[in-house]
Amino acid sequence: MFWEQLLNGLTLGSTYALIALGYTMVYGIIQLINFAHGEIYMFGAFVGLFLVSVAGVNIFIALLGAMAFCMVLGMLVEKVAYRPLRGKSTRLSALISAIGVSIFLSTLMALIRGTNTTRYPEVMQIHTYNLGLIEISSLQLIILLVSAFLMVGLQMMVQRTTIGKAMRACSQDLEASYLMGINVNRVISFTFAIGSALAAAGGVMVGLYYNAVWPYMGMMAGLKAFAAAVLGGIGSIPGAMIGGVTLGVLEIFGVAYLSSSYKDAIAFAVLILVLIIRPQGIMGQKISKKV
Amino acid sequence: MKFQGKAKWVLLLCFVMMFSLLAGCGGSNDKTSSGGDDQETIKLGFLGALTGSVANYGIPGKKGMEMAIDELNDQGGILGKKVEGVYEDNKGDNSEIANIAMKYITRDKVVAMVGDPCTGLTKTAAKIAQDNQMVIFSSGATGDGVVEIGDYVFRNTLLDIYAVPAVVDWMMNDKGWKNFAVITSLDNGYSTALTPVFKQVIDEKGGKIVLEDSVNDGETDFTAQVTKLKKANADVLVFTGYYTEAALILNEAQKKNLDITLVGGDGLYGQDLAKLGKSAVEEKVIFYCGFSSDEPGAETAKFLENYRNRYKEDPDMFSAQYYDAVMILAKAMIEANSTDPKVYKDELAQLKDYPGVSGNTTFRADREPIKSPVCLITIRDGKFALVDTLPVHE
Amino acid sequence: MDSFLAQYIDPYYLRILVLIGINLILALGLNIITGVTGQLSMGHAGFMSIGAYTSAILSMQFGYPYFLSLLAGALMAALFGFLIGIPTLRLEGDYLAMVTIGFAEIIKVFFLNFEPGGKAVGLSGIPQNTTFVIVWVIVLIVIILNARLLRTRMGRAFYAIRENEIAAESCGINTTRLKVLAFTIGSFLGGLGGGLYAHYMYFIRPQDFAFMKSIELLNMVVLGGMGSIPGTILGTTILTLAPEMLRVVAEYRLLFYGALLVILMIFRPNGLLGDIRIYDIKKRFRKKEVETCRS
Repeated sequence: MFWEQLLNGLTLGSTYALIALGYTMVYGIIQLINFAHGEIYMFGAFVGLFLVSVAGVNIFIALLGAMAFCMVLGMLVEKVAYRPLRGKSTRLSALISAIGVSIFLSTLMALIRGTNTTRYPEVMQIHTYNLGLIEISSLQLIILLVSAFLMVGLQMMVQRTTIGKAMRACSQDLEASYLMGINVNRVISFTFAIGSALAAAGGVMVGLYYNAVWPYMGMMAGLKAFAAAVLGGIGSIPGAMIGGVTLGVLEIFGVAYLSSSYKDAIAFAVLILVLIIRPQGIMGQKISKKV
Repeated sequence: MKFQGKAKWVLLLCFVMMFSLLAGCGGSNDKTSSGGDDQETIKLGFLGALTGSVANYGIPGKKGMEMAIDELNDQGGILGKKVEGVYEDNKGDNSEIANIAMKYITRDKVVAMVGDPCTGLTKTAAKIAQDNQMVIFSSGATGDGVVEIGDYVFRNTLLDIYAVPAVVDWMMNDKGWKNFAVITSLDNGYSTALTPVFKQVIDEKGGKIVLEDSVNDGETDFTAQVTKLKKANADVLVFTGYYTEAALILNEAQKKNLDITLVGGDGLYGQDLAKLGKSAVEEKVIFYCGFSSDEPGAETAKFLENYRNRYKEDPDMFSAQYYDAVMILAKAMIEANSTDPKVYKDELAQLKDYPGVSGNTTFRADREPIKSPVCLITIRDGKFALVDTLPVHE
Repeated sequence: MDSFLAQYIDPYYLRILVLIGINLILALGLNIITGVTGQLSMGHAGFMSIGAYTSAILSMQFGYPYFLSLLAGALMAALFGFLIGIPTLRLEGDYLAMVTIGFAEIIKVFFLNFEPGGKAVGLSGIPQNTTFVIVWVIVLIVIILNARLLRTRMGRAFYAIRENEIAAESCGINTTRLKVLAFTIGSFLGGLGGGLYAHYMYFIRPQDFAFMKSIELLNMVVLGGMGSIPGTILGTTILTLAPEMLRVVAEYRLLFYGALLVILMIFRPNGLLGDIRIYDIKKRFRKKEVETCRS
C-alpha cells in the first residue's frame, strides 16, 4: 500500500507542480501572486475537452492546442489587468486585480458550460503494468513523463536560451534590465505565456486522469499550487517542482495514514512548520534586506 | 491643497450611496400592501444558487419551479390571479440567502418562498420567514431542526430517519452484506447529517463498519481513499454525499480494478451520475429516493415528458421537488381560498397523500413529511432503473 | 429600537446596513494588520470564525450573556492572532500570506470536525441579539478608537513598519512587539465581527468563513485604500452593496463583480482613497494650510 499511495501522491503532486511553475515564474519576475492562474488551468482543461470531443483531434494535438490557447489567454490577462497597474501601484492592487480576473474567468466558464462537472472522454486504452511492488497505469506514466519533460524543458530554456537569460535578468532587477536594453514588457508577456501553457498542460492531464472538469476547479488547485510554490521557495523553478510533489505526497499520505478528514489541515500545518524553520522555502534563496 | 479633490470624492460617493439607499426606502413606502390578497399577480420567491459551486443543485430546481408556474398559469393561475416566480441567486452563501429572503418579503411581497436545497441555508431563511409570518417550503432540506423553527416552515423531502433503516435491512438481509465502508463528504451538510444515521442503524442491526473515510466536495482526487478502500475488504460502500463525487469515486475504483457497490441517499439522484460515471456506475450504484422515473405513476410520467420536451434533458430530484413544492402551495392556496400565508398555512399543514411527481407526501402533525414507499434505484444502460421498493415503517 | 427603525426603513435595507456595519468592523481589523502595518494577511475569515463559534457556543450552551460572549469570542480570536503573529517575526510578504491562508484553512477544517459546532451541518438556533443600533454603536466606537490609535506614537510606528521595516527598526521602533500587537488588535476586531455576525444570522457553518470570505475582506481594505480609515469605510460600503445592486444583471452578477474589481484598480491603482487618514480630512476642514506628512 505504501508504494501505491506514493505513486498516487507523485501523480497528484506533479500536476500541482505544473501549475506552481507558472505561479513561481510570474512571481519571480514581477512579484505578483497571479490569482487568475488557477482559472487559466481550468480554461486549459476545457479547451482540451473541446478539442477532443467536438473537434475530435488526437489528445496530444489537443494538449498542444490547449497550451497555445492559454498562452494567448495568459498574455491577454497580463495586458488588460496587470500592465496598466505596473509601476503605478503597490503589489496588493495588482493582487486585487488578479482576484477580479479570477472571479471573472470562472464565472465566464460557468456561463458557457454550466456549473456541472463534465466527463472527460476516454481517449486511449488504459493499460496497467505490474511492477512487482506497484501497479502503474499507462495514464499515470504519461502524466509523470509529460510533467517531467515539460519541467526539464523549462529549466533548459531558462538556463540556456537568450530569452531565458533575459527572464533571469528581469527577475533580479527589472529596472536595471530595462536599462540594459531588454524589452521588459515582452519578457513579462513571454513569462505569462509559458506559465499559462504549463498550467493548460496540467489542466488537460488532470482532466484525463480524473475524467472530470468543472468551472470552479481552478480555485482550489490554484490555492494548492500557490502553497506548493511557496513551500519550494517562491521564485525558484526547481523549488516549485519539489514543492508541488511534496504537497501532493503529503496530502495523499495524510489520507492514507493519518485522517482524511484532517488532510488539508495536515498539509497546511506541515507547510507552516517548514516555513517557520526555513522562512525562504525549501529551495528559496535568502536575500539580505537593505534599506 | 492636495486632498481637496479626494475629500470631495468621499463626500460625493457617500452621498450617492445614501441617496440610492434612501431612494429605495422611499419607493418601498408606496406599496405597503402586506398579505398580497389585493395584488394583481401573486409572486413566489425562489431560494437557491444559480451561480457558484453549488449552482448545479439550484439550477434544476429553478427549471422545475418555472415549469410548475407556467403550468399553473395555463390552468388559469391561482384563484384567478397570474403566478409569477422571482428568481434571485444566493450563490450558496449564508448571508446572501438572508438578504434575499428579506428582499422577497419586504420588496417583492411574495406569498411563499420555495427552497433552498441545502438544510443550513434553509434554516437561515426559515427563521426570517417565521419572524415575518411568511411560508417557506424547502425542497431538499433533509437535516434536523428545520420544521421545528415554526409553523410557517414546511419541507417535502424523504426523511433519512425513515428510509435508512429500510435500506440497511435490505442490504443486510436481501444482499447479505455485513461489512460496510462509510465515506462522508466532509464539507457537505447533507452528507455529515446522513452519515451518523447510517452508522447508528448499521450498528443497531449488527453490521460491521470496517472503514470510515471522508472526501471534500469539488475535489477530483480520490486515489488515496480508493486505495484504502481496496485494502479494507468491505462488502459494500456507503457514500452519503452527492452524485458528482459518487461518480468520481466509482470511476477511480474501476481504474483500480475494485469491484464494489456504492449505496447512498437521494443526493445521488442526478443525471450527472450516469454521465460522469459511464460504465463505472452501471449497476454499481444503488440509492434510495421517493420516486422512480423508471416505473412512474401517471403524474410523474406527465412531468417527465413535459420536462424533457421543455429543457431537452432529464429532471433530477431537485427539479421534481421544486415542481412539487409549487404545486402543493398552489393546492393549499386554492383550498384555503386565500394567498395570505397566515391563512393558507393551516390548509397546507393538512396535506394528505398528495400524489406528487417526487412521490406521495403526507404531512404529520408536526409538519414533517412522510413519503412512502422508498424506491431503490440503480443505473442500467445509462438510465435510472428501479431495483426494489421498500415499505417504510414509522 | 430596531422595530422603531423598521417603521421608517425597509427591513431589507436595514439588514444590508447591519451587514455593512459588521463588515466594517472586520475590515477595520484587517486594515490594521495589512493596510497600516503592511503584513499581508489572507486569512482574516479564520479569526472571524473563531469569534463566531466561540461566542455562539458560549451563549447557546453555557448561557453567557450576549456582551460577555461577544467579548469572549473577540478575546479568543485575539489569542490566536497573537499566536499567528509570532511566525511573522521570521516571515514576510507572501510567505506570511501563505501562513495566514494555511491558518484559516486549518481553522476551517477544525470546525468541519468539531462536534459541538455541528460539523458541516452548522450551528443553528443562535440567539439573534445583534441589532442595528448595537452594531453601529460598536462601529462608531471602533472607528474613533482606531483613528485615535493611528494618531499616537504607536500608530505612526505601524505605518513606519509598512514603509520600511529596517529603517523603522533603526529609528528605535520595536518592530517585533508592534507586529504581534497589530495582529492581536486586528484579530480581536475580527473575532468581534464574527461574534456579531453569528448573533445576527441565527445559523452559521464553517463554509461561511472560507477562503473567499478572507479575500472579500482583503478586497475591501485594498480597494478603499491601504491604511486609510475613510478608504476602508468606502471600500466596505461599495463591496457590500455591489452584490445587492448587481442583482439586476442576474446570472452575470459575478462577471460584473470581477470586472468591477479590475476596473476600479486600473483607474485608482492606489485604492479609492489612497492614504487619506481621518485627521488629514479634519485638517482640511479646519482650513489649516499645513502640508500633511504623507506616509
